[in-house]
Amino acid sequence: MLTTTPYLTIRRPSPTTAEFTLTTCPPLTLRLRAALFGVLCLRFIAVLSAIIGIYSAFFHPSGLLPPPIFPSGRITLLDFELNNFLLHILHLLYVSAPGQSIASLATSLPPYAVLALSAITAYIALFARIHTTESLLVLRGLGIQMSSNVGGGYFRLGGGTYMKRTRFIPTEKIQDILINEAFKGFEVRYYLVIVVEGEEDVVVCFPRLLPRRKIVERVWRGARGCLYEKDGPVMSAGAGGGSTHNGNWRGGNEKG
Amino acid sequence: MSQSLAKECNELKERYDTCFLKWYSEKYLRGTGTEQNNECSELFKQYSSCLQGAWHRQAAGRGPGRTQGQRLDIHEQEEITDLLRALSDWLLASELSVMPEDDGLMRVFWPTDLPRSDCRGVVVGWRNSALDVLVVAVLEEVEPRRVESALKLGNLLRNAPHPVSRIYEQCGKSSISVLGVSNTPDTVEVDSSWIRVTIPPKQRVPSVTCARASSIQIILFERPLPGRMQYMSLDPIALALGDKHDGFRQDFADSGEEDDEKRERLNKEAKRKLVEKLKQHSVVKRIPSPKERALPTIINQINWAWELEKLLQQNVSRIGTRPKRALSVSERVVESATTARDMILVWLWDMITIYVLPVIKKLFVLGLMAHRVVAEMLLRILEWRLRPRYAALKDISATAQQVEIRLQQFCYWPMQYVTLRLRKNDWASVTTSHPDYIRFYNSLWLVANDVIIGMAFGSYIIDNADWVANEISRLLTTYTVEALQSSISWLMGWPAGLKLNTELAAFLGDLFLWVIEYWASGIRYELRDTQDIGTTCNDNNPLRQHPSTSVIALHPIPLDFKSMFYQYFQMGNRIRKHYLSPRVAMCLLMGKFVPPLNRKNLYSLQYSMLPAKRAGVMEMWDALNSLPASKRKSMPVQVPILANGRNRFPSNYGGGRSRSYG
Repeated sequence: MLTTTPYLTIRRPSPTTAEFTLTTCPPLTLRLRAALFGVLCLRFIAVLSAIIGIYSAFFHPSGLLPPPIFPSGRITLLDFELNNFLLHILHLLYVSAPGQSIASLATSLPPYAVLALSAITAYIALFARIHTTESLLVLRGLGIQMSSNVGGGYFRLGGGTYMKRTRFIPTEKIQDILINEAFKGFEVRYYLVIVVEGEEDVVVCFPRLLPRRKIVERVWRGARGCLYEKDGPVMSAGAGGGSTHNGNWRGGNEKG
Repeated sequence: MSQSLAKECNELKERYDTCFLKWYSEKYLRGTGTEQNNECSELFKQYSSCLQGAWHRQAAGRGPGRTQGQRLDIHEQEEITDLLRALSDWLLASELSVMPEDDGLMRVFWPTDLPRSDCRGVVVGWRNSALDVLVVAVLEEVEPRRVESALKLGNLLRNAPHPVSRIYEQCGKSSISVLGVSNTPDTVEVDSSWIRVTIPPKQRVPSVTCARASSIQIILFERPLPGRMQYMSLDPIALALGDKHDGFRQDFADSGEEDDEKRERLNKEAKRKLVEKLKQHSVVKRIPSPKERALPTIINQINWAWELEKLLQQNVSRIGTRPKRALSVSERVVESATTARDMILVWLWDMITIYVLPVIKKLFVLGLMAHRVVAEMLLRILEWRLRPRYAALKDISATAQQVEIRLQQFCYWPMQYVTLRLRKNDWASVTTSHPDYIRFYNSLWLVANDVIIGMAFGSYIIDNADWVANEISRLLTTYTVEALQSSISWLMGWPAGLKLNTELAAFLGDLFLWVIEYWASGIRYELRDTQDIGTTCNDNNPLRQHPSTSVIALHPIPLDFKSMFYQYFQMGNRIRKHYLSPRVAMCLLMGKFVPPLNRKNLYSLQYSMLPAKRAGVMEMWDALNSLPASKRKSMPVQVPILANGRNRFPSNYGGGRSRSYG
C-alpha cells in the first residue's frame, strides 16, 4: 500500500530539458498521506521509546519512581529552562503507563544491550527509507544530473521533495549513453549506462531501482533526443525492437 | 550501398562512396572538417558525369518510348535518391561547418547576486559563441557605444591590481564584449545579437529576450567570492598530490605485494578491461559542440565574475555619468580628522616595518634554514640503505618512520608557504592554488592535532598511571590468563561428565598452564596511531526549470560525509580487508600467526600529502629569498577620476555629461 512498483514520470519544462523520475512512491492520495502520517507517528514513538529506554536504564536503574523535577507539578516562568523543561517532559513520559512498561523491559536487560538496542531502533526509525526515487535530469548543452533520494523523506508527506544526493556529468565528458545487460541472480537485467570519458568505471543510471527494459528504453531515447538531437527528443515509446541497444544512432547533425 | 545504374559507373560510385563515408566519419563528425569537402568533390563530379553519360546513352538506345519495364525504374529511383542524399549530406556538411551550432538555443549565464535597479544599463560580459553568453556586469547610465569603445581601448580595466592579460588568459577569450542592454524600452534599436534584459525588482529571474534566439536557457549562479576562496569546479578537489604515485608504487613493489593486494590489482585490471570493452560500443563518436566544450572555460569565467565586476564598476565613472553625491562639509571634516589620526599610525607602522620586521624576518629565515639542514642530515640517515634492495632504517622501525614523516612535513611547509604567498601577487580568482592552501593548513592542523591529543593523552596517563596500569593488567589477566587457566583446569578434570585419559589430560593441561604462566609473566602490548584529513569543496549542480525559457540554477553542494572523510574510509577499508578476511579466520583456527598489517599501508595515506621528492636545501633557500617584499602601502595616488561629480574638479572635466547632487 505504501509503495508501488517503480514507475516513470517525465517532466519536460522546456524543449531543451527533460527530467526522468523513477519512483516507488504512488501518487499522493489522501489514503497514502494518512498512511505516511501513521508511519511518521510510528517513527516518532520508536525514537521516544528508545530515549526512554536509555533514560531508565542509565538514570533509574533501580526501577523506582524518581521524584519529579518540578515538585509543584506546575512550571512557572521563573524556573523555565530548556534543560529542566526537557528533563521534565522526559520524566512525565517515563512515569506514564507505556513509559513504565518500556522501563521495566529496559531494567531487566543489561544496560549495554539496552544502549545497543535503542541506538538501532532510533537509527532505523530516523533513517529508514520507505520510497526510493531516482531521477535523471538532462540539460542540452550542459549535461546530465543524476540524483537519488537519501534520508527518511519526511517532507514527502506534505508533497515536498526528498533530500537528494546528486551527481552532474558535463556533456563534454559523456562519451555515450547505452543500454547494457547483466545477469542478476537468474534474470537478465537491462540497465542504462553512461560512459564517461576518463573515468575507470561506467556510471549506471537508476542503480537502486534497475527498472524494466521498457522503461530503460524510453529513458534512453528521451535522454539521447534531449541531449543530442536538434529538434528535441523523439518521444515515441513503442517501436522497441532488438536493435535499439547501442549503435544505430548517428550524430544529430545529420538531420539538420 | 546499392549498385550503380550503369555498370560502367560502379567503380566510380564506390570510390566516391568510400571517400565520402571516410570524410564523414573521420573528419566531419569529429569537427575537423572545417574546410570544404574538397577531397571527394572531384570524385563526385566524375561519377555524376559518368552517370549522366550512361543515362543519355541508355535513353538514346531505348528510344523515345522508354517502356523497358518497371524494374529498371525502381532501380533508377533508388540511384537518384541515393545521389540526392549524398548531395544533400554534402551540402549540409559544408554549410554546417561554416555555422556549426546555430540551433536557436541561447544560453545565458546570469549572476543572481548582481545589484539590481531600474536604471537603464548595458550588459557586459563574455561572449563564448554567438548564442552563448556569460554576464559579468550591468553598467548603469552609460551609452552602449561608449562602453563598446571603452572596452576596446581597455579603459574599463584601468587601475587593475594585477596584469589584465591574466584575465583573458584564464577566461579563454580575447575580449569582454557588450552583450546587450537592460531595462531599455523596445523602441530603442539594438544589434540583433544583443540581448534585452528586464530585471523585475522583486524577482530572482530576469527576463531575457534576443532577436536571434528561438529559445533561451538562463542559468543562474551565485558568484563565488574569491576573497573567501570560494570557487566552482566540475570535480571535487583532490588533496592528495598527484605527482607521486608512480614513485611510491615502486616502493611497494620492493617489499613484495601481499596476496590480497595482488588479487585486488588483478580484479581492477579485469574490470578495466571490461569497461574498455564497453566503451568500444559507441559506434559514432559524437563531437561535442563548441557550447559543450566551453563548459570548463565558463566555470573559470564564473569564478572570475566577482573580481571582474568590481573592476568594471570601479571604472564606469570614466565613461559615464553615474550620479554620485559629493561629500558634505561635515563629512569632509570627519575625513580630515581621521586622516590626521591615521598619519600618526601610519608613521609608527612604517618605523616598525622598516627597522624591526626585516631583522625578525632574516632571523626567522636563518632559523628555518638551520632546521632544514639538520633535517636533511637526519633524513639522509633514515633513508640510507646499505644496498639498493636493503631496508632502510625507516622501514625497520616505526619510530624512525614517524620521525621521517614529521621531518618531511617540516621540510615541505616553507615551500608550501612560499607558493601561498605568491598567490597574493595574482588575482584572487586564480583557483589553482586553493588546494595547496587547504593542504598546507590541513597538515599544520594535523600536526597540531597530534600534539594536542598526544599531550592530553600523555598527561592523562601520567596523572592516572597507577589506575590505568592496574585496569589494563586486570583486564589482561582476567581474559588472557585466568579464563584460560580455569577452562584448562576444567578440561583436566571430567569435562561435561566425559572421562578422559587422566594422565594425558594432566600432562597436556600442565603443559598449557605452564605456557600460560610464562605468557602471563611477560604481557606486552603495543599501541599505534595514524591520522588523516577531511576536506570540503564546492561542486556545481543545476536544478530548477521554467517553461519556454528554461531557468537553471547552480547550487553549491557540500561534499557529502563519505567523501569528506574519504581517507578514513579508505583506511578503514584497508584494515577491514586485512583483518576481517577468511584468511585471518583460518590462521586463528589453525593456530598460525596472523601477519600484522604492513605499516607502509597505513602510512601511505600520509605520504600522499607530501611531494615525492622533497625540495633541496638550496632550492628552499632560493624560494625563501624569492619571496616578494611585502608591498608597503603607498599613499594612493589621486588619479583624477573623470566626471564623477566630486567638486574638487571642474564639473565638466573630461567633457562628460556630469551631474552632481548637493
